[in-house]
Amino acid sequence: MEFSEHIKTANVEDVVLRRPFYQPTKGTLCVTGHHLIFSNRGGDSARPFLLLLRNIDAIEKSVENLPSVSSGTITLKCKDLCVLQLDIPGMEECLNIASSIESLSSLETVSEMYPFFYRPPFLSLQDQWGLSSTEQHYAQMKEIHDGWRVSQVNRDYSVSPSYPPAVIVPHSIDDETLVKAARFRQGGRFPVLCYYHRETGTVIMRSSQPLSGANRKRCREDELLLQAVIDGSELGYIIDTRSSQQAQQARMTGGGFESKSCYRGWKRLHRQLEKGKVLQESLIKLVEACGDQSHSVDRWLSKLENSKWLSHVQTALSTAGLVAECVERDGHSVLVHGSEGTDTSLLVSSLAQLILDPDSRTLAGFLGLLEREWVQAGHPFQQRCAHSAYSHVRLRHEAPVFVLLLDCVWQLARQFPLAMGFSEPLLLRLAKEVYASDYGTFLCNSDQERCVTGVKERTHCLFQSLLRANERQHYSNPLYERTELAIWPSIQPPSLQWTCAFSPIQWPFDMC
Amino acid sequence: MEFAELIKTPRVDGVVLRRPFQPTVEGTLCLTGHHLILSSRQDNTEELWLLHANIDCIEKRFVGTLGTIIVKCKDLRVIQLDIPGMEECLNIASSIEALSTLDSVSLMYPFFYRPMFEVIEDGWNSFLPEDSFKDLESMTDEWRLSDVNQDYCVCASYPPLVAVPKDVDDDTLRKAAAFRHAGRFPVLSYYHKKNGMVMMRSGQPLTGTNGRRCKEDEKLINATLRAGKRGYIIDTRTIAVAQQAKARGGGFESEANYPQWRRIHKAIERSSVLQESLIKLVEACNDQSHNMDRWLSKLEASNWQTHVKEILTTACLAAQCIDREGASVLVHGTEGTDSTLQVTSLAQIILDPTCRTIRGFQALVEREWLQAGHPFQQRCVQSAYGNGSSVKVRCEAPVFLLFLDCVWQILRQFPCSFQFSEHFLVLLFEHAYASQFGTFLGNSAAERAKLKLSQKTVSLWSWVNRPQEAQRLSNPLYEANSLVIWPSVAPQSLLLWEGVFLRWNRSSRCLDEAYEEMVHIIEYNKELQNKVNSLRRQLAELETDDPLQHTE
Repeated sequence: MEFSEHIKTANVEDVVLRRPFYQPTKGTLCVTGHHLIFSNRGGDSARPFLLLLRNIDAIEKSVENLPSVSSGTITLKCKDLCVLQLDIPGMEECLNIASSIESLSSLETVSEMYPFFYRPPFLSLQDQWGLSSTEQHYAQMKEIHDGWRVSQVNRDYSVSPSYPPAVIVPHSIDDETLVKAARFRQGGRFPVLCYYHRETGTVIMRSSQPLSGANRKRCREDELLLQAVIDGSELGYIIDTRSSQQAQQARMTGGGFESKSCYRGWKRLHRQLEKGKVLQESLIKLVEACGDQSHSVDRWLSKLENSKWLSHVQTALSTAGLVAECVERDGHSVLVHGSEGTDTSLLVSSLAQLILDPDSRTLAGFLGLLEREWVQAGHPFQQRCAHSAYSHVRLRHEAPVFVLLLDCVWQLARQFPLAMGFSEPLLLRLAKEVYASDYGTFLCNSDQERCVTGVKERTHCLFQSLLRANERQHYSNPLYERTELAIWPSIQPPSLQWTCAFSPIQWPFDMC
Repeated sequence: MEFAELIKTPRVDGVVLRRPFQPTVEGTLCLTGHHLILSSRQDNTEELWLLHANIDCIEKRFVGTLGTIIVKCKDLRVIQLDIPGMEECLNIASSIEALSTLDSVSLMYPFFYRPMFEVIEDGWNSFLPEDSFKDLESMTDEWRLSDVNQDYCVCASYPPLVAVPKDVDDDTLRKAAAFRHAGRFPVLSYYHKKNGMVMMRSGQPLTGTNGRRCKEDEKLINATLRAGKRGYIIDTRTIAVAQQAKARGGGFESEANYPQWRRIHKAIERSSVLQESLIKLVEACNDQSHNMDRWLSKLEASNWQTHVKEILTTACLAAQCIDREGASVLVHGTEGTDSTLQVTSLAQIILDPTCRTIRGFQALVEREWLQAGHPFQQRCVQSAYGNGSSVKVRCEAPVFLLFLDCVWQILRQFPCSFQFSEHFLVLLFEHAYASQFGTFLGNSAAERAKLKLSQKTVSLWSWVNRPQEAQRLSNPLYEANSLVIWPSVAPQSLLLWEGVFLRWNRSSRCLDEAYEEMVHIIEYNKELQNKVNSLRRQLAELETDDPLQHTE
């Protein structure tokens, strides 16, 4: 398919662009395969305004067709929550532009997306894609070499389609056992290591739910695998991110939970974290509340409350705090899972690492954490971030789990202003990039998909770009002072603040 | 009366002090006439030194012979004292109750306090009306300083000297005063240098039900208008409330009698409502239930943020009339001592960069609050925990605290435009409620004169204006900004003032460290900048020197 088929009118003169914090400007609007380009006719020093079509979440148009005037207005609501307006002379031009935007912004074919065309002079496709592989990560952690090994059991993605080719597992467990354990876990996501705590020698593992089903099936190999994790110590904790009722119900559809009798030594705790549609609707309500122009404090606070967003932040932080407490204070290993193990499990395991591990709080360390725990671990970015808060399209798999993570990290950084090596602009940048990006990092739903579509060969990696010297400086926290201690967040409701980031009028525009 | 009569047990050993985020301390509790002191016996350092005047209320509990006193302070801190011995505990509690509610002003601590620091500049003379009038004279000759209220007879809550239009004589002022609530005739509050427009304030006109009018009052305020120009009257009450006021002899300026003025009604709540709001807010902040919905509902139900928004909105409106519309403004509510002052002082912060400096802000508080007759003593007699303890008509209200909260909101939105930091605002909040200084005692200039505060007590400004203190209160990010600053009043932009309301419910260590680090970075940056400048100068000197002199 050619992009040009979608473009009936490529250029319009005398278009007026209105955006927050800028005077309306008149200029030329240009539609390309991936961008809207607006250039000011005066053309002095101002760079043209560039908007990725992928960033457009919803579009509204109104036209006027009278003998005297023929014009139209297009309102663009972007996934980064910015709202823009274009006044276009000529009804036909307006309708053409609108339909081009509509079809080009909803292209689904990954290999046609902009990252496959973006070729900045400062990066080379020959560079390694990504910051680190499982093997490299393992090699750096000498202290785990005795008890843990890298398994290539998933090298062809046949054991778990959403896992990376290599994972870290207990030394004593062979690949055959892993294959069998994988059959007992949803999506083949058997328990793997995500964090090793040096002081206590305990670990955080993650997986998906066991497929015990209605007739309480069990799996020796899965039990062996978990037994090997707590080898020697008496107790481990399973933090299930569903309520116990939800976990019970999951048995009806073939899922389930680890029963006490089969997993001796493991104690199960349930902490319900919302995901999927509930979370997406929460974001939609939050953004609506932030955009409310009624200027009534009561209305704002009840809408904020009604969105439940801050409750989700609180639950995520308190569950992560619980995991960290088990590991650091009680000295017990933890397994985190919900159902699929690709959303709330990742949220909890990565927040727990930020609380515990000073290495994950540096700029490079944080990006490494995101790569390991979200990109490689198989968070389905493409499904989750297909649409943001404005879209009228019926919801399918959208959910702002990653945005919720960023908000939780923002709360941590606000409570511990010295502890993080990165600053708020990085979080804002990531929130923008995850929905629409020049880079391939957040494309696809798993490592396997990225291999198949050639993302690693034909796109650039965002994380590498963010670690270039000038970007690094921009995103560093000038107050940063490394602390080796765990940072325990306060989850008292008044300590959790709403961030201006969700406010459409406040969203910074530094990318455009 | 002797304080000793009120102190039955001056000293108890083995008392345990519990405070959030601090280790418990065991020590000796001592009561003096003005302080509650706890010192740990180990190293003889005082762990707690609390003014009785700071105590808002106490609660006592007993388990066997171990008594517990929970002390709730006006600065919103809550501490717990475990006292062995039931009798001791009861004695201590009754002494605290008596000493924290002394009726007579002249028994208050400021009359006994002797400064341990050298007074370089006496704060009582730092901000005299004569001096601020000199500044005004340098800008305009349309105003004069009237001493019509020399003996506080025309208006009991006004200072002896007020600025009024030059063409209006004292006789007219007297008659206008008779027509305004408590004699508060319109006086100058602010002169906008940029366009010569002014802001005035007053009490409500006493039109009553039969629409009385007063030619002198009309003449007085019309004298502030330029020929052919209209002015704005900002009434801080809703039209309904203003209508109701007529039945009690009050009222508002009718269109018929004041044709050159356009009246706008806003809705700033009266002081009793504000007090309720503060109590609910602090209760919400102290709620330990960890329930997010409950917190947000309680925050909403307290209405505090709504009050902040209403006050800021009204102040912005006043500032807008002056700066954007080029019109003069008269602000009043009912008495003209509360919401009126919130509006006039905030409008000045928006409009006048001088008010955003440390000294300028003091001058503003002195002019628009102390001299203007805000009844500090009545309003600050109790804080958020003191509900129901006084039998008299309740007149306490966090009017000044709300003003400070509004300033904090602006400061947060314009972090580089203020010479002072949040610390200064918190300090003023504390001292308004309990202080060793005499500044906030009394309800008016007349009462302060009668109490001879300037002779018998030390001014807070004497303390604040010492170089080391001014340094501590200054904002490291400050860069003088001569522009008008328009705050956003959208509810989403207004945050809870954590520095006051969550101050004792959180550990401030991390935030303090970050603040120090920021100060450090800024100082280092300045140092480097100086170094660069001196190197540049050196280079320039070397370049202009005759190059031959340097060849050897």
